[in-house]
Amino acid sequence: MPEAAFAELGFKSKLKMDLFPTIWCPGCGIGTIMIELAMVLDELGLDHTNTVIVTGIGCTGRMGSYMKFESVYTLHGRTLPVAEAIKTVRPELNVIVVAGDGDTASIGGNHLIHAIRRNARITVLCNNNEIYGLTGGQTGPTTPTGTKTLSSPGGNPNTPINLQGIVRSSPHALYARTTVYHQPQMRTAIREAISHDGFAFVDITSQCIENNGRRIGFANANDMLTFYRKTYKRAPKGADRLGPFELGIVYPEGHAERTNGTQTDGAAAADGAAAADGSAAEGAAPAAPAPAEAPTKADRPSVSDDEKARKRAEAQKKLALMQRLDPEVKLRVAKGELTLADALREAGIDPAELEA
Amino acid sequence: MRRLVQGNEAVFRGAIAAGASYYAGYPISPSTEILNVASGWAAEHPEFGFLQAEDEIASANAVIGASLAGAKSFTATSGPGFSLMQEAIGYAQKVGVPCVFVDVQRVGPATGMPTMPGQGDILQVRYGSSGDYTPIALYPNSVAEAFTLAVAAFNAAEESRSPVVLLSDTFVAHLNEVVDLDELEAGVTVAPRELVPLARNGEADPRFFAGVLMYEHGPNAGEPATADADEYLRQFYAAKQRHLAVANRYALFQHGWNTDAKTLILCYGIVSRVAAPLAPDYALFRPIRIHPMLTDELRAVADGYEHIVAIEANDGQYADMAELALRREVKRVPLLGGRISLEAVNAGLERVLGDGPDEPPIPPAPAERATRAPLGIG
Repeated sequence: MPEAAFAELGFKSKLKMDLFPTIWCPGCGIGTIMIELAMVLDELGLDHTNTVIVTGIGCTGRMGSYMKFESVYTLHGRTLPVAEAIKTVRPELNVIVVAGDGDTASIGGNHLIHAIRRNARITVLCNNNEIYGLTGGQTGPTTPTGTKTLSSPGGNPNTPINLQGIVRSSPHALYARTTVYHQPQMRTAIREAISHDGFAFVDITSQCIENNGRRIGFANANDMLTFYRKTYKRAPKGADRLGPFELGIVYPEGHAERTNGTQTDGAAAADGAAAADGSAAEGAAPAAPAPAEAPTKADRPSVSDDEKARKRAEAQKKLALMQRLDPEVKLRVAKGELTLADALREAGIDPAELEA
Repeated sequence: MRRLVQGNEAVFRGAIAAGASYYAGYPISPSTEILNVASGWAAEHPEFGFLQAEDEIASANAVIGASLAGAKSFTATSGPGFSLMQEAIGYAQKVGVPCVFVDVQRVGPATGMPTMPGQGDILQVRYGSSGDYTPIALYPNSVAEAFTLAVAAFNAAEESRSPVVLLSDTFVAHLNEVVDLDELEAGVTVAPRELVPLARNGEADPRFFAGVLMYEHGPNAGEPATADADEYLRQFYAAKQRHLAVANRYALFQHGWNTDAKTLILCYGIVSRVAAPLAPDYALFRPIRIHPMLTDELRAVADGYEHIVAIEANDGQYADMAELALRREVKRVPLLGGRISLEAVNAGLERVLGDGPDEPPIPPAPAERATRAPLGIG
């Protein structure tokens, strides 16, 4: 798919490719989350001058060091106060928190409920791998009941924390659930979360094969992803609550997506395999009472269809021009060492063709 | 205009004069007035960031985030909250975040005696967080000094790129004295912010502010340095030397009273005010910069005095530091349980100068239910 190929080149400019390979174990889901995030940041035109990444302790926390963004690697559990303060001091910045489930919901649980209460205008991507991975595999706040871990050899006796319930305790917060398998849907969720003007939380189920999966019967990371593919299903559109193993975005009350229940983004319609097309018809689409002054779809900070068509055409044009370049030059462009215009000029192609 | 100003308010006004534009805090006696004043200030000044956080851990980390984003930031708390902030203070030391922590001391440990003055955090300031670091801490004894030292704390924080502690205590915080804030403000010089705020680093490589040891420069920049002792030494001593160099500019102390006396009294904060009637018969050394220890200054002063007595509202924390610095005996008059009074000071001096024990006599347990003293002050 040529468009995907171009997207791949674009997101690399958001990453410090010279630090690759990453420290994460083979089969880890964090790299996928990072790449999806980089793709969304690229797509939204966000860079190191307008976006800051705040990460917590844990495997996930290292993400900040691989991204070409100014980044704060906070103390364990303290991402949210740091992020909220950055947003207060510099409201023009996009502040994106990336942390694991232990950091977010256990040691940082108090900050989570209060950042939500205050509707801090930040985006939280929670790498929910249901385990403390960096310390070898202990029970975390989201570990399912009965799971055997290093700290619960008889099976976890406790109920996992209800992240959706906590986030949705505020009428202003956006909650999305996705998995590392459902990458286009993850991208949509991350994009919607970053675009949301308020607290947004993306709960990303991801695989930790080394310190969890292999101990509970998965042969490899692919098995875990297959499990996600078979188990997780798309929630009915406009749902005000996601059931167990349901994927989707729950918008705040009064939000356009809640009142008309339609997808706004073309990319979302082309989502991954799990998008059960019939589910919208079958699922009882909630008749959320629309407040009289409910914002209309147009009020949302979304991209118009014309704009999208224009961007798509622009991307295709760039792609066509890129294909006329040497593979090595292409890589340099992707790494950000060379602008596309300069590369074209060197190859004897008039960069004005970009604008044409 | 000359008017009555409270110690806590003076701290806040000093912070504003020094360019502070962000406050995060959690209510705790006896520091709460700073939170109250900050919220009022924020209501009138939209550019001033204010957060009433869910706890002191959040306050401390918010102060760090705000500072990295470019605001001069601070928080105020008391002993128990200061304990909760220690991890964040260590982080700010490691990362090099300029910010100010105000610790209005009360009697601890734990919840202790919330409305009574204490000075039990002297060593917590020095050693409270894990690992090694070189903190700077200042301690006023009057409302005017609360203002000027708040300014100095912010300036030292900017210059040293580290969290600076401004100590206070219940009585200094709640002291009302007539000062002229306009005059104080007119005399302020403000250190500029040198740390480039987040996302304003131009085309330079994006920075990664990490509590974990990372290579920051050179061919390995961006890689973890978590098993490299050489890199640790480079970063540790660079920070230590920077902090000591800045601290030298704030080597503040007071040497006074009757300097011809035979006995030198070491005291600071409110105790130095309470002990002021000793002036005719004793010499005073009042450290204003509590940390780093004023070793050379104290040595120069202490020569020639027959006795040195530390009077402090703790069980000899500064006395320990002084003894180590001077390599000679420092007698102790601990004023514990909030009993900071001239009577207690005199009784203690009589005891230790008469070769009695450091500890005060322990009163017997009451046989009858006690009636409460109106202020609880003995």
